[in-house]
Amino acid sequence: MSAEVARPHSREFVQALAAELSKLWSLPAVWLTLGGSLILNLVLAAAFVSAGLQDLTGTPNALDIGLASISYIQAGYIVLGIVASCSEYTGGQIRTTLTAMPRRSLQLIAAHLALMIVVVPAALITATSGVLLAAIALGDASAPVELGSTVGILAGVTGYLGLTTLISASFGVLLRRTLPAAIVVLGYYFIAGPLLREQTAHAKYLPDTAGLAMWFPQPGDASALSPVHGATVLVAWTLGAFVVALAVYRKRDT
Amino acid sequence: MLTIHRLVKRRGSRTILSGISFQARSGRVTGFLGPNGAGKSSTLRILLGLDSATSGEALINGVPYARLRNPLATVGALLDGSGAHRARTGRAHLNWIARSAGLPRSRVDEVLAIVGLTDAASQRVGSYSLGMGRRLGLAAALLGDPEVLILDEPVNGLDPEGIRWIRTLVRERAATGRTVLLSSHLMGELAETVDDVIVINQGRIVADGTLAEVIDGHGTLENAFFALTTPNGGRVAQ
Amino acid sequence: MRAITAELSKLFSLLSVWVALAIGMIVPTAIAALNSVSTRKEIALGDHTAVGIDMGYQELAFGVIGAIIIGVVAISHEYFAESGESGGGRQITTSLIAIPSRLRFLFAKATAVAMVSAVLASAAAIATMAAIRIVLGEHAPEIGSEDVPRLAGIVCYWVLTALLAFGITVLTRHGIVPLAILIVNTSVVTVTYLLTRLTSLAYYFPDMAGIRMFIRNLEDSTVEIAPLVGGLVMTAWVAALLIIAAIVFCRRDA
Repeated sequence: MSAEVARPHSREFVQALAAELSKLWSLPAVWLTLGGSLILNLVLAAAFVSAGLQDLTGTPNALDIGLASISYIQAGYIVLGIVASCSEYTGGQIRTTLTAMPRRSLQLIAAHLALMIVVVPAALITATSGVLLAAIALGDASAPVELGSTVGILAGVTGYLGLTTLISASFGVLLRRTLPAAIVVLGYYFIAGPLLREQTAHAKYLPDTAGLAMWFPQPGDASALSPVHGATVLVAWTLGAFVVALAVYRKRDT
Repeated sequence: MLTIHRLVKRRGSRTILSGISFQARSGRVTGFLGPNGAGKSSTLRILLGLDSATSGEALINGVPYARLRNPLATVGALLDGSGAHRARTGRAHLNWIARSAGLPRSRVDEVLAIVGLTDAASQRVGSYSLGMGRRLGLAAALLGDPEVLILDEPVNGLDPEGIRWIRTLVRERAATGRTVLLSSHLMGELAETVDDVIVINQGRIVADGTLAEVIDGHGTLENAFFALTTPNGGRVAQ
Repeated sequence: MRAITAELSKLFSLLSVWVALAIGMIVPTAIAALNSVSTRKEIALGDHTAVGIDMGYQELAFGVIGAIIIGVVAISHEYFAESGESGGGRQITTSLIAIPSRLRFLFAKATAVAMVSAVLASAAAIATMAAIRIVLGEHAPEIGSEDVPRLAGIVCYWVLTALLAFGITVLTRHGIVPLAILIVNTSVVTVTYLLTRLTSLAYYFPDMAGIRMFIRNLEDSTVEIAPLVGGLVMTAWVAALLIIAAIVFCRRDA
């Protein structure tokens, strides 16, 4: 008979993390989304390079041009976060999850951490490949780019995409169904957010605009947030979304 | 041992369980019967910590499910369907569950062999038949070699061979001193498998005892069931 | 026809469709109201050129997201039912037993989508123009006989976009991909618009051609397309897509 040998919380968490990583690993949608985003990003980056070469008004900058596509490609990361959360609600898997890992806070934290572990390298590769493509294609035509600022900005993009994925995952947990969650989050990031940015100065504290400050500095705008300030605001939004999602998740009949 | 004590569940103004109490003892197979919507699934879901109780307790070896230190080694549960995402393979589904309890991969192969899914292990769950999905759910339930089995309609979707296999499985588990709680609509099947019977109707326990005690005076379990759960004792209106 | 009524009642039983209707109404109306408020300020400062020729129409181009959602969920809900319960019954099987002719099924569905989108577009156009009128009062642009074909253009654009979303979803079955792509491309700066910087052929993408039906002053446009031609180009795209979708749908196992 299996005895109730106490399993330390630390080991329980490591095992939950391993289970959540295994789930992401074995879900084809995760690989399709990440791979699709990477390829589409390169295609868009090539298009931006080509447009940049034709544009004679200014000297193209490999960093700006290589990252211009990120504001579109973030859709892939938003979808990934939502799909990762909502996949629990397909085929009644959530019941298997909660019977295997009944401590819901621990399980949800492990799931979000696992998502981070998958997304951060993918985002870094995606962003770097776009910049490399732009740098190689532009060659001498590019304005000089400092290595230090490049590393900082690539870190900013990676952090932005990672945190945006987590916010999307929290919305997935809250709404449970893929399409409604995608409508809400994509609608915000692609329609409401950009329009609010034009309408009000307070928009700089919203998650999309604050996050933009992490990798898309606006030297001309004195009131804009600094990268660190932007990152702090975005982390606060991410934590806020997670806390709300967790509160609902813990109480919910599944 | 499973203990349900004065369990109440309300959803909005609807009362689903009105203070039910019963036990499923070690070394015995307990059958849990009731018509559709009687509260069977709600009871099992509360027992597994999936739904919260309005009041009362549902305990496994004296502890609520969420406080079990090693849930998979304590309880194996099969609810309706496979409980698996359709895009994963059967083996990948069992792999992540095994990880959550730190079980070795070899255990996944063992349970796949036990339920007869070894050949289909690399197929997507979406391509499984109803019976194969149920077998996968059973494999997940057996993964931690648990002390308690909770099976909701386990024979649903299984072929005759699978039904006989389940019967043997639960008898063997009980014979080694473990606890089995199973619900079913198939009276004939239950009568051959269970030691104790609990009948629930409209959120209340209407019978609780050994198989012989519940059948007493009705001839068969089916007659007893209809007598307990329908106003006219199950006589078909002419 | 009974099949169309059945499809209409299916559509209205979906929560996502009601959300789509709300989004389709609120998004263009709210943006138009906000833009009118800033226009009124500019007029007060003496800038009488502030009222642009495309006022109201531009905002309605964003509202098309409502039509996109309707087109996507009309098909995707047949394939994937997400819920805590397992089994995830695929309604498509039931639907095809009820209407064995697949072509008739698809036709009925497309007709229902087109009808709902047309009504939504008309209502959104009225609400948007009314919002501008309420905020700007006497300064609001006149609506005369030359606006009739433009307003008809809006309705055509929404219906065609809904059918475009519908056709793509028939091919992908899951709604998330068409939803993400089409929402991203409804953004303030659309991907197809960026591609026009690269090649003037991009003006013949369905959305870029379609907006010619009602937008009169397309920024930096290097190619002029008459409204009727634009409408025909978009119609040709949608017709081609629907034919492909119909062929695939009829040949595929449900």
